[in-house]
Amino acid sequence: MTDPRHAKGQPSEAEAIAGAKQGNAEAFEFLYNLHKRRVYSLCLRMTANIAAAEDLTQEAFLQLFRKIGTFRGESAFSTWLHRMAVNVVLMHLRRKGLAVVSLDETAEGDEDAPKKDFGAEDLTLSGSIDRLQLQAAVERLPPGYRTIFVLHDVEGYEHNEIANLVGCSIGNSKSQLHKARMKLREFLKTSRAEKAGKP
Amino acid sequence: MTCAELRKELPELLEWDPSAKLHAHLMGCEACSELVRSLEVIIREARGLQACEEPSPRVWNSIEIALRQERLIRQPEPESRAALVPSLVRRWGVAAWLVPSAALVLVGAFLVIGRQPIGQMPGAESRALVQVTSRVDVSDQQVLEQLALDAPLMKAAYEKELSNVNEYIRDAQNLVDANPNDEGARQSLMDAYGQKAVIYQLALDRSLP
Repeated sequence: MTDPRHAKGQPSEAEAIAGAKQGNAEAFEFLYNLHKRRVYSLCLRMTANIAAAEDLTQEAFLQLFRKIGTFRGESAFSTWLHRMAVNVVLMHLRRKGLAVVSLDETAEGDEDAPKKDFGAEDLTLSGSIDRLQLQAAVERLPPGYRTIFVLHDVEGYEHNEIANLVGCSIGNSKSQLHKARMKLREFLKTSRAEKAGKP
Repeated sequence: MTCAELRKELPELLEWDPSAKLHAHLMGCEACSELVRSLEVIIREARGLQACEEPSPRVWNSIEIALRQERLIRQPEPESRAALVPSLVRRWGVAAWLVPSAALVLVGAFLVIGRQPIGQMPGAESRALVQVTSRVDVSDQQVLEQLALDAPLMKAAYEKELSNVNEYIRDAQNLVDANPNDEGARQSLMDAYGQKAVIYQLALDRSLP
């Protein structure tokens, strides 16, 4: 996340943080507007539910704002907020009994079987992907796959960070990510086939 | 290198530069090439999903309400209380007096509720409470009408907040009616009215110049 100075008269993020520590309403709102899309998008991708995503966004920001007095600036504010949002979402998924990550350590799975990828009727996925189709495909992923995919490929976390966050091994994180990507490829191919009018 | 060997190394292949052996296999195997290209496209497009959605205005409204209730938002005192009143009248006309008076009515309502069980209220006070709640409904409409003029983008969000808090008040009221001696139920009703007073105050703040 950048630390933008917006149009003239707009505070910097550092100024807004200082203002929020003083209880300034506009400062809180400025920080919220600066980071709301990133946090909300993360919550939405990981829960695939708009109402849950909004509630979790609210919770993440409230937790942050309650602790803003302790922020010393050693790390980027956005990093702090983002980590808090990830933890809020993961706690939510655990409370709901949704698998945060599968315990399956193996890398091979049915989706890797060569037979499924060969054949004249397979459509190539190369080129561009419609963003809405990709969003829909991500929503269809099992929760465990979706968590790892969103954290790694969408949000840019490394496997060692993901392992720490979700409580799995680095190997498991890599395995789940690979399975998630393969599953997405399968969904997108199916979607393309349906659009092309093929059975 | 076989296709099976490539697929086994695929997770690492996509993270790091492929070795010469892998390159050679990809050059000669269209199926594996297509697979790698597909996955690379997915990885590339995934970043586009970051920060692409916008939450509804109700999220900020709820956050702001909570921050005010927890006193994390500490607005400075107005420099001159006398100046504030003419400003309200200029902006709102007759309606300027409705919002703070509605807030006071709400405060009065929940102070009365706090003092004694509803079921044991003397008849006059019960009738007064009915008048309060009907006046509150009228005030909701007036607040929303004024917001429609002064801050139209926020009207829908406040309408939703008022609807939610009115439902909260009704639920809490039902609880008190069913359990007139329940301290927790009375506290819930007081909290509900308090929340409504905060929403009125926020709506008033939104409409000030």
